[in-house]
Amino acid sequence: MKINFKITTDLLVLIRADLRRHHPFAHERVGFILAGLAKSAEGVLVLAHTYHPVADQDYLPDTSVGAMMGPEAIRKAMELALIKRVAIFHVHSHGGIGIPNFSGVDIRENAKFVPDFLKVAPQNVHGAVVLSDNAAAGQFWVARDRHSQPISKFIEVGRPIIKWGGMQ
Amino acid sequence: MNRLARQSFLGVDSDHNLSKATIGIIGLGGGGSHLVQQFAHLGIGGFVLVDPDVIDLTNTNRLIGGTLADAKTETSKVEIAERLIRGLQPEARIKALKSDWRHVLDELKGCDVILGAVDSFKDRDQIERFARRFLIPYIDIGMDVLDIVEKGPLVNGQVILSSPGGHRLRCCNFITDDRLAREAEKYGAAGDKPQVVWANGVLASTAVGLAVELLTPWYKAPAGLVYLEYDGNKNSVSVSRWVTALESKRCTHYLDNETGDPAFDVRQLVTAVTAPPASVVPEAWWQKLFSQWFK
Repeated sequence: MKINFKITTDLLVLIRADLRRHHPFAHERVGFILAGLAKSAEGVLVLAHTYHPVADQDYLPDTSVGAMMGPEAIRKAMELALIKRVAIFHVHSHGGIGIPNFSGVDIRENAKFVPDFLKVAPQNVHGAVVLSDNAAAGQFWVARDRHSQPISKFIEVGRPIIKWGGMQ
Repeated sequence: MNRLARQSFLGVDSDHNLSKATIGIIGLGGGGSHLVQQFAHLGIGGFVLVDPDVIDLTNTNRLIGGTLADAKTETSKVEIAERLIRGLQPEARIKALKSDWRHVLDELKGCDVILGAVDSFKDRDQIERFARRFLIPYIDIGMDVLDIVEKGPLVNGQVILSSPGGHRLRCCNFITDDRLAREAEKYGAAGDKPQVVWANGVLASTAVGLAVELLTPWYKAPAGLVYLEYDGNKNSVSVSRWVTALESKRCTHYLDNETGDPAFDVRQLVTAVTAPPASVVPEAWWQKLFSQWFK
């Protein structure tokens, strides 16, 4: 199954600006993108619509990683998935230019918590996205007992529309 | 020789971008047929063409590509459009759909931009809602001839770009409940609206320019509502006063979180998932190496 991820330039600008904000102790910020889904000729369309930053108090002090979310951050995101029946994509930024890659830590940590969104909203796909300053890459899960797959294509809807291939 | 060489200023990858793009055109009459012709000349690679009608003799005053022979044989408008495109883009990916647009939503979902050249406000309202739901920019074109007794006919029209997250046709009062109600009252008794080829051409060319701005980086256009008003008597196109009036206001007519299909369920597609279950995925070379190291 191929997944194309659509997001407006306005929403991307808002997310990047939020992720650049200073945090009292975490080295970086993280958040969640909420999206609607639709079947398409190629597979599934992810249609991002809202951004939820992780609250300052929901980070855990952990110097081994850039940012560690506490259980409350994940609980709040789960609640959104359950009540609003939306797809949830964890998001953080590596900065820089060009298509970014998840780090080994990202892949390990994503696999620990992202598939759990399927417990509360199994009708949706869920995943994670890593941004650079001008592109993104992502992975998604369709079932808890399956490996993640890379997002095939990102489409930034603005003036102009920009497309790029994703990678894991 | 590259037939698109004279438009290379659109950007280094513009040929590629245009050939990979898919344009949806709803309504292939006077306005839509101009759009088809220009997008074919530009090298657009994908088309979703939607119109339920066939050409008749009264369409031949303005339907680009339509001939008297087509009118005689009642050729469908989508067939005429496809023929026009194939003459310039033989390999184009064309979905020619002789249908009401509401019946081909799956095909329209995959478009990068949708252009509507339809007559009714109801259609415009619904197409825009659909486009918003799938984060597709929608460009509306339309013309009208008002019969003003003292001054004679007044030819006018509009081109509006409605972008996801931005203002809607309702924000600029182009679509109102009152207009929809009046249209509904007249349903079936409206008769054919006056249409002329040159006014359709001006509106379609302006709309194609906006679409090219969306598909190539040649001009860094400011985000936001585009509402251009055409005055066919003065031969002018000007920015509507609504653009300034709405500058610092947010759209209150549509919730941005209404995207996608509310009934979507991935479990209905999961049998088609190509990825094998986790237990049978073969190890990558680096995983094998790691396993050996940490045995």
